[in-house]
Amino acid sequence: MDEHVHWKGYLAVINKDGLFIQSSYVHGDQVVYGPDSDSTTMAIAAIQLMRNKGHVLESIHLPDSVDARIVYLASGVDSMAHNEGLEFEDIVWDLLSGDEATLVISKSNSESYDFEEPQDVEIIDGDFFNDMTEAWRLEQEIHHVSQGAYVSTSQYLEGAPARLSLTSQKAGDRMIWPPRQLDENGLRFSEDSHQLVAEAHVESWTKLSAAGAPSEFSLRAPDPWRYSDSLGSIRTRARGVFLVTDDLDYSPEDRRYSALCRTANICARRDDAIWTQSVP
Amino acid sequence: MLVLLGCVMVDVAVIGAGQTKYGNHKLGLKGMWAEAAENAYSSVDLDFEPRQIDEAFIGSVAFGGAQLGNTAALLTEHSGLDGIPVRRVENACASSGFALRDAWMAIKSGQADIVVAGGIEKMNDLSAERKRFWLGVSGDTEWERLAGLTFPGTYALMARRHFHEHDSSHDDLVHISVKNHMHGFENEHAHIRKQVSFEKADSGFMVADPLTLYDCCPTSDGASCVILAADHVARQFTEDPVWVRSSGAASDRLALHDRPSVTQLLATQKASKAAYSAAGLTANDIDLAEVHDCFTIAELMATEDLGFTDHGQGGVFAREGRGVRNEGDVCINPSGGLKSKGHPLGATGTGQAVEVFKQLRGTVEDSRQVRDAETGLTHNVGGSGATCAVHIFGRERNG
Repeated sequence: MDEHVHWKGYLAVINKDGLFIQSSYVHGDQVVYGPDSDSTTMAIAAIQLMRNKGHVLESIHLPDSVDARIVYLASGVDSMAHNEGLEFEDIVWDLLSGDEATLVISKSNSESYDFEEPQDVEIIDGDFFNDMTEAWRLEQEIHHVSQGAYVSTSQYLEGAPARLSLTSQKAGDRMIWPPRQLDENGLRFSEDSHQLVAEAHVESWTKLSAAGAPSEFSLRAPDPWRYSDSLGSIRTRARGVFLVTDDLDYSPEDRRYSALCRTANICARRDDAIWTQSVP
Repeated sequence: MLVLLGCVMVDVAVIGAGQTKYGNHKLGLKGMWAEAAENAYSSVDLDFEPRQIDEAFIGSVAFGGAQLGNTAALLTEHSGLDGIPVRRVENACASSGFALRDAWMAIKSGQADIVVAGGIEKMNDLSAERKRFWLGVSGDTEWERLAGLTFPGTYALMARRHFHEHDSSHDDLVHISVKNHMHGFENEHAHIRKQVSFEKADSGFMVADPLTLYDCCPTSDGASCVILAADHVARQFTEDPVWVRSSGAASDRLALHDRPSVTQLLATQKASKAAYSAAGLTANDIDLAEVHDCFTIAELMATEDLGFTDHGQGGVFAREGRGVRNEGDVCINPSGGLKSKGHPLGATGTGQAVEVFKQLRGTVEDSRQVRDAETGLTHNVGGSGATCAVHIFGRERNG
């Protein structure tokens, strides 16, 4: 029997053979990823849901539309696109990309799959969607100067496991997140890692108007504001600033919230740089 | 007189100081710097020539990337300082606060007798997009900026947390905004010379909740220049020097999430503690302070971190008008601060020193004069508090 799940902003249908996941947004008659998502982000969410339901995924076949490196950094699930040493026949899962904003994960030896239609689609604001799509297109143009952030590819990849899967450093009893290099004695922090729980205590928060937001995010900002930042303490005492999306009724400080770890990742590569919007 | 290892520790005097008007400046970098330098040279009371200057330190974030390298060499070339050792000093918005410290140290070390410290920024001839990019380059790029956080957002997080932990509210920030606009109204060098009512400042459009337009400083063009001299040559140039009684500086972690508290700036606390200690003074001895109010919450926190009030009492301090010129305990931002005078990033620190120099010599506009001003302090912060320089100036030398 199929189980219908609302998962990290997506609609999923899962059964013993696999999973069908689609964006919850419909623009006109077409399912679209929404303002801040893409196939890689949805693939990561799909893998997390499969694992959450008890499936064992260690490696997977990925389509070209999904960034294999980001999937590996976010989930640890390997693929031939990321690791040439993998043998094709050893990979038991396929991830297939649909024409619209849909993905399927199924066993590689499945001859067919059959899922019920997901429910509760949401009609997206067409103007907002078009504006965001255009803004991201401009942001990713080769001559465009990124307004919000610029880090080297190396720096981005160094922090990616912490960003995309909330992996912290562990030094004795201390959880250190985001990762650091040397401690106060000049010694390198241990490489021991720890999986943080995706639940945080909000210390402070703000909503940014277009005037206070970096320009690639400013489209999200006009009233009603859809763009917030929060300073949160993750339950295991690490802290971070998080971009909160799709939350019109954002919780004030000193409340716990657990919907923290929707991982939206939109990244584009340009010669020596990756810039990204990332929502741990 | 303190004698260390056979060296006599010299005292350092300010013998001249000048700046451009802050705001939307028609001049470019070279023109603005020349104007600030010219104003500083002409403020020296007795015979003085630029060629007597031994070295120059110029703070700048090099906003927009124009002349990013060798900035100081280009600027000094156009201000009669050919051939001397020069360098650009960068510590975000605290760039010229640290240029001032470097100049002070050059004289204290005995390597130079007369040194220029200055700062410059050209911010308003860029497109809105490039301006936004450069406004954010001093933040934590990898973790805060990737999460969409800007400086208004960063200070908004501090403000909301302060309101939560302490007896403070947005009304207190409005009081600060009103005060600084009032102080800057008659400052001929100020970017925004208009008084605002409490009601108007309370109804500005939201920039980063809870901070509104009236909580945020403007982006300004401007340059500032201070001339320092060793005690043994200072009297050649003026009978009325202002003494740099001490310099304190510190740094803190760049990102908010790596700090134990977001309602205190540890760099300010450390820098001011060092400065007070070296001068043998306390916050109670300060008559006026130019503090780094890039956002009104920054001034509220600075009044606590600099010791003008207890931690958590900055809201009450503002509410009770204790920083109002000639009415409160200490005049906070007699120039109008960054909020009214303006904030040309790299020029701000030495611009604060220009104001204190003039206040202590009694040469500001009569209506702006802080009565009986004997001791002044400058507080220059980089970004959200990763760097801070505090200087104390006095009519008297250290005892």
